[in-house]
Amino acid sequence: MNLFKISICTYCFLRAFIGYSQQRDTIKQLPAIEVSSSRSEVFTSGNKTEKLDSALLNRYAAANLADLLANESQVFIKSYGLGSSAVTSFRGAGASHTAVLWNGFNIQNQMLGMLDISLVPVNFLNEVQLQYGGAGALWGSGAVGGTIQLNNSSQFNRGISVSSGVFYGSFLDRQQQVSLEISKKRFVSSLKLFNHDAKNDFAFINTAQYGSPEQKQSNAELKQYGLLQENYFRINTHQTLNTRFWYQYGDRNIPPSMTQNINTANQKDGCYRATTEWQRTGERLTLLARFAYFDEWLNYKDSTTREDSRSRTKTSIAEIESRFSISNFDLINIGINNTYSEALTADFVKNPSENRTALFASYKIHTPKRSWNAVLSARQEFIKNKEIPFTASAGFEGQLLKLFILKGNAAKHYRLPTFNDLYWAGAGAKGNPDLKPESGWSEELSLIHKYNFKKLDWLLGATGFNRNVDNWIIWLPDQYNIWSPANVLQVWSRGLEYKLNVNYTAEKFKIQLSGMYNYVLSTNEKSATANDESVGKILIYVPIQNAQGSLYISYKGTSIGYTQVYTGYRYTTSDNTQYLKPYTIGNINIAQLIKLRDYKIKASAQLNNIWQESYQVMQYRAMPLFNYQFGLTFYFNK
Amino acid sequence: MKTKQVFYLSTFALALTFGSCKKNDPVPVVTPPAAAGYDNGVFIINQGMFTGGTGTVSFYSRSSSSVSNDIFMAKNNYPLGNIAQSMEIYNNTGYIVVNNAGKVETVDGSTFASKGAITGLTSPRYFLGINNTTGYVSQWGSTGGSIKVIDLNSKTVTATIPTGNGAEEMVKAGNFVYAACCGGFGNDSVVTVINSATNTVLTNINAGPNPQCIKVDANGKIWVLCIGQWDQTFTTLVKPGRLVRIDASTNTIDFSLPFSSTTSQPMSLVTNTAKTILYYTYNGKVYSQACASTSLSASAVINRNFYGLGIDPANDYLYGADAGNYTSSGKVLRYTASGAAVDSFAVGIIPGYFCFK
Repeated sequence: MNLFKISICTYCFLRAFIGYSQQRDTIKQLPAIEVSSSRSEVFTSGNKTEKLDSALLNRYAAANLADLLANESQVFIKSYGLGSSAVTSFRGAGASHTAVLWNGFNIQNQMLGMLDISLVPVNFLNEVQLQYGGAGALWGSGAVGGTIQLNNSSQFNRGISVSSGVFYGSFLDRQQQVSLEISKKRFVSSLKLFNHDAKNDFAFINTAQYGSPEQKQSNAELKQYGLLQENYFRINTHQTLNTRFWYQYGDRNIPPSMTQNINTANQKDGCYRATTEWQRTGERLTLLARFAYFDEWLNYKDSTTREDSRSRTKTSIAEIESRFSISNFDLINIGINNTYSEALTADFVKNPSENRTALFASYKIHTPKRSWNAVLSARQEFIKNKEIPFTASAGFEGQLLKLFILKGNAAKHYRLPTFNDLYWAGAGAKGNPDLKPESGWSEELSLIHKYNFKKLDWLLGATGFNRNVDNWIIWLPDQYNIWSPANVLQVWSRGLEYKLNVNYTAEKFKIQLSGMYNYVLSTNEKSATANDESVGKILIYVPIQNAQGSLYISYKGTSIGYTQVYTGYRYTTSDNTQYLKPYTIGNINIAQLIKLRDYKIKASAQLNNIWQESYQVMQYRAMPLFNYQFGLTFYFNK
Repeated sequence: MKTKQVFYLSTFALALTFGSCKKNDPVPVVTPPAAAGYDNGVFIINQGMFTGGTGTVSFYSRSSSSVSNDIFMAKNNYPLGNIAQSMEIYNNTGYIVVNNAGKVETVDGSTFASKGAITGLTSPRYFLGINNTTGYVSQWGSTGGSIKVIDLNSKTVTATIPTGNGAEEMVKAGNFVYAACCGGFGNDSVVTVINSATNTVLTNINAGPNPQCIKVDANGKIWVLCIGQWDQTFTTLVKPGRLVRIDASTNTIDFSLPFSSTTSQPMSLVTNTAKTILYYTYNGKVYSQACASTSLSASAVINRNFYGLGIDPANDYLYGADAGNYTSSGKVLRYTASGAAVDSFAVGIIPGYFCFK
């Protein structure tokens, strides 16, 4: 078998490379492996990553993941409007080319192949990590453009914490949050609740209507609520166990586009996500076992078109992973994953299911001082009667001349067609069960200049990347005018990304300055269709340039932050004859924390689009001008 | 010192990138509006991108052989709206039916200046002028197909005539209007006959699976193209298409000609200027059929499929709309009546309908 051979060869090569021969004695003396539940943390090497920590997340406590990423990352967020759905585009890739992992479990919707990140409340997360570039060898299908990792964590022995917040914003946006946590020596249990409703009836100038009238957005109401319950157990010094349960319900109307006048569509969605994770950390071997069960449903209804589409997907995931070292300089990861998904919908002729098993392995070597490391990873997924590409990646990173970090990565990536791509049947369209997976390679190289001078931290990084995707799937009408997907395009994306972070931290005073700039060309190189006007052209809704800058200052309990985001031209037609103009959005965040013995109270104000930019992220989708959100949060800890 | 070097190097790299970007700034692709106005030529109705886009109208000038794209926006400074379906000219007013925007935009037939919109429609499809004050708009509606009766002066809906599901094309023969009912989001089989003097339904003729196109010939006979009915998987036509002739004097079916293909739907029925020959697309080709014939013709005129078809009354040229990849500029190809290629030109996104003037 292919995978096995490659792993063996790789292994032999590496062993020879570091000139080490295995001896039983040395194994005993190995230090206990530093355990992190996240495979990405340990076995990602050479990829550009960005970490959005809890302090930053706290500033976006009443926002959703789409708002957070639009303002604080280099990921382009395709938002259909305030409160409307939003999907991601990493490095010029499509929405389905992002793997979204919740504590290591892929939560992409199996039918759509993407996750509407406007449905993820930031308040439910402790950390968001973005990994740019392909990572098919670590995460399998979908990790093409990048990976979003949504992480939860907790600490033992913190006592009882209670917090409660209320938020009120423009367009009748109201949100309530409560979180409770009991943290003992061996046990943590926490519960987070939120409730959110909004009218979203913002005013805008409708330039797409006669006389450019001022209109109020219609049919944009939303209502959401959800809970996240987590338990962490320390069974003994070697073993931990956790369980998580995420329930969420959403009901929102779909507003019309500016060219549409009215819309009567409504979407109701809900999810149950239950996971458990067991971890045994030993001196020689660490074992992890995780299980998840997701049940999601989505009902889309439009009284005008009489569309009534109901779908439900159930996914169960089981994963076992082991980590061990065979020398002082390496770490090995071997694991198996089984993911079973099924969809229940009247939109398909029969309910489809998919049983996917994956074998994955990583080998990491590092220098004695851990200043350099390299990782080789491989993964093969199996689905009965389907040919699935073998994925592998190689990466390295390390210190160069003390001031620099050099890192690079090359990875094979792939994406399976979605259930809709394969099995859709209805309304003049049909799926194509013969679709091949999209696949290709991505490469990147980063040079980071890192420098600490007294209280000043300086980081300047540049990354160049390249990515090819073959068999890119698009939907087109066939010769009988029935819309159906096919492996049509070959897409080449390449770009440069710059990043600057300057932090000054004194005892009570803190300044953070950051800037990012991206230049991405994502072009269609080949088409299986004759005379395709899109060949040689840039993909639609991929900004060639975008930039972001922010300044955050805090003194004692007072903080003020300013963020400005520039998004460049985006083409809206595949022959690049039409486009959307660039826009610049400026947001301010102000917070005041008051401490009173065991209590803390935080008053916050979020002011969005302060320069009153009239803009469109997606063509003819109205966006609000200036808007605000005020919040009051109460914290108690004992 | 090392730091400095890095700084300079990065600044240089940044500047280089920024500098190289300028030349990538897009330039709008604009065609000038027809200098001579819109009296002698062909309007091409481009549906536009389906999700969130706007339809456009292109104009081909017969006198200058030039094309002007997006003439509605150029004249009126706002886009037509989401999914432009069809356009008719009646009493020198253009009625452009914008499907997903639920409206009919009206324009001056010579200048294309907006004369206001008829709103309050649900998935409208086609316009038919009845008399100086009244027009019909077929629509899929939200509870079944219907025809909205429009007061052309006030541009308001005055009455609703229920039809079969998914009312599509209409023709007028004498006082009677025949509306093909294609099923909308489902299936139907009727042609609804309406007395236009009273705006009431006379009868529903059971024509065949999903009647979409309807034309009247030189002898006053009504031709209906039923496009057939798919199975649930959209792979096989459980009821293949049919070409049906209706006798307008008795409202009964003269004959019904079944197509053999179970995978290809006949579409886009048009007639020549003399109304003696029918043209339609089928099996990836364009076929012609003499109105005098009582069996389906076996030979194709053009060996190519089109998203829309039209015939220029000025010279009987066949116009074929090629929607390309559906996200970029489409093409119009012209042929003589016998199918010899004439020329082609680029138009807007997803061209689907022709309106000749």
